[in-house]
Amino acid sequence: MSSTPSTTPKLAAQIRDLTKHYVLKSETVRALRGVSFDIPEGDYVAIMGPSGSGKSTLLNLLGCLDRPTSGSFMLGSDDVAQMTDDELSGIRASRIGFVFQSYNLIAQLSVVENIEVPLYYMGRLNRESRQRSTDLAGMVGLGQRLDHRPTQLSGGQQQRVAIARSLVNDPYFILADEATGNLDSVTTEEILALFQRLNDEGRTIIMVTHEDEVAEHAKRIIRLKDGLVQVDEPMKNRKTFTAEEIETISKNAHLANQADEEN
Amino acid sequence: MLSLRTWILGVKSLLLHPMRSGLTILGIFIGVASVIWLLAIGEGISQEAQKQIEDLGAENIIVRSIKPPDDANASVRSVDLYGVTRAEMATIELTIPTVEQVVPVRELKQKFIYAGNQNATPLDGRLVGCSPAYAEVTKLKTARGRFISSTDLETNDSVCVIAAVLARKLFPSEDPLEKAVFLPEKKEFFKVIGVLEPRNATAAIGGSLSAQDFSLDVYIPITTMRVKMGDEETRRASGSFSRELFELSQVTIEVESPEEVPRTAKIIEATLYMNDEQRQDIAVIVPYELLEQAKTTRLMFMMFMGLIAAISLIVGGIGIMNIMLATVTERTREIGIRRALGGTRSDITNQFLVETISLSVVGGLIGILVGLLCPYTIRLARTIFQQVQPDMYANLPDVAKVMEPQIVTMSIPLAFGISVVVGVLFGLYPAMRAAKMDPIEALRHE
Repeated sequence: MSSTPSTTPKLAAQIRDLTKHYVLKSETVRALRGVSFDIPEGDYVAIMGPSGSGKSTLLNLLGCLDRPTSGSFMLGSDDVAQMTDDELSGIRASRIGFVFQSYNLIAQLSVVENIEVPLYYMGRLNRESRQRSTDLAGMVGLGQRLDHRPTQLSGGQQQRVAIARSLVNDPYFILADEATGNLDSVTTEEILALFQRLNDEGRTIIMVTHEDEVAEHAKRIIRLKDGLVQVDEPMKNRKTFTAEEIETISKNAHLANQADEEN
Repeated sequence: MLSLRTWILGVKSLLLHPMRSGLTILGIFIGVASVIWLLAIGEGISQEAQKQIEDLGAENIIVRSIKPPDDANASVRSVDLYGVTRAEMATIELTIPTVEQVVPVRELKQKFIYAGNQNATPLDGRLVGCSPAYAEVTKLKTARGRFISSTDLETNDSVCVIAAVLARKLFPSEDPLEKAVFLPEKKEFFKVIGVLEPRNATAAIGGSLSAQDFSLDVYIPITTMRVKMGDEETRRASGSFSRELFELSQVTIEVESPEEVPRTAKIIEATLYMNDEQRQDIAVIVPYELLEQAKTTRLMFMMFMGLIAAISLIVGGIGIMNIMLATVTERTREIGIRRALGGTRSDITNQFLVETISLSVVGGLIGILVGLLCPYTIRLARTIFQQVQPDMYANLPDVAKVMEPQIVTMSIPLAFGISVVVGVLFGLYPAMRAAKMDPIEALRHE
């Protein structure tokens, strides 16, 4: 990753004076007006903000789906702000793990094949990577359903496949966009417990959400307003799952899986 | 990244909508099959035509007498001579150096009967006065005995050679050789010296040469015919009475080589039409020219068939494009996901191209298979038609009855190539449209 040896924690991402303007007919919309922050490795950040705050724009920039009007976005040692479309595709495949609100699995692919997609676009499909995808499916509790299609899975299960997929390329950070927005409260807990477990294992997570109860699980909160960072502080009263809770939740989820299987 | 994986994925995506993919394939399959079918039928028809013309001999020029329409005021006593004359034949033979030989023919409609069984119903047939070379130029083969010889011509012998069908009908239970055939209208006997092998009828060509059925012919030396029957023919049929006067029905002129035919034909025409440019009583038929014409016609025909086939392929291609455009719109979300997960624009283009190419290749392969069945299908269809609607079948033109479709070997790679090209061509636009999508917009698409 970052090649610079430093005493401070290595940065997963570094954003400086990021602006984004959209030209609509006659007026220019300034969606981001100079945003700066660092994401150290192992961080767990919740990005919040009302609609129109520039939250979605920031998300698109963080996900390398779009290029900023100005400013820099260092991902490791590379500034992705000025990269070409194809270069950005490569970065997305190798350094970013997406988790979407609506899971976004590909309907014609099986669970394992879905997990493999980023590797496919990196041109790194082989027996080893198949094993890695299978292991990840097992880690999110879907080891028994490798050949299932997304339509044969519940929402929570689909989201867990998506999380496994986001991990397959060993990304700089996981970018979760309203990852629990389509899930009921029990499943939301399940996913949040999974996120916490991943974060405890050292994964960097950036979570965009508008729900306070979800954001409370992060270590740090960034609030946007009118295209600027309004608040950037450690989460007060952070909610965490204890190790036992995580175990119970994943066990319950596992039981629920089995119940599904029997039905 | 056109890996095996991409192809498998493409096929998987297509199998997600089997009905839709099937119908798209159908469009291409019909296009490819029709290329092969139309070219095969076109080739079959033109080969048949070419064969018939070749039967006439490419190095021959045929001058045929045409009976003028009956003149109501024609006097009973005097009748005009029509047709090509012996004098004209002699001129052609003697004055044109490229002429190898001339073969005169005089044909009469006659009734025949076996001399040994004169109570039998006379058989209608054709009496042909000819020279020994006639067998060669009309490709007649003797099955038994011999054909007319030059000695027969010199001695004006009353000998005849009979066609296979006539032999069977006239002599159902006896060996015709050395027996006599009797012509009741002429009160003449002819000794059978040879029996021919069966020969297929020739079709009418170019309007001036009517179809010839060789199955009921009796061949006699032309000199004998002249001596015994003269040049004038009188027929009485149901009270009416007609007379005609002609020396020869046809002269077949053999030229030394096919290359000399066009030039020789011009000279012959100049000779024959020298005194009367407007004469209607002869027709000069040049099979070589017909052959050349047939080749051009064939090319035109093939081009025309090819055009029709190309149109159907284009229609198939438009079908593919239509489906792929719908598919791309429908799968906008998937495109967004793939772009977000690291797919480049060209990855997306390839993915959709692979799908269209798969469709068109499968369609092309099925089309080739069905295309190859063409000869069998035509044969089967003909048999069924013959059984179900025998009357209508009988009225079909000869070509439709005897034509054998000839699969043009080139048409297979051609059709396949075209189907792939159609796939790429018509798939490219939808694929590029998919690739151009903004990933953010695409991800938001419901």
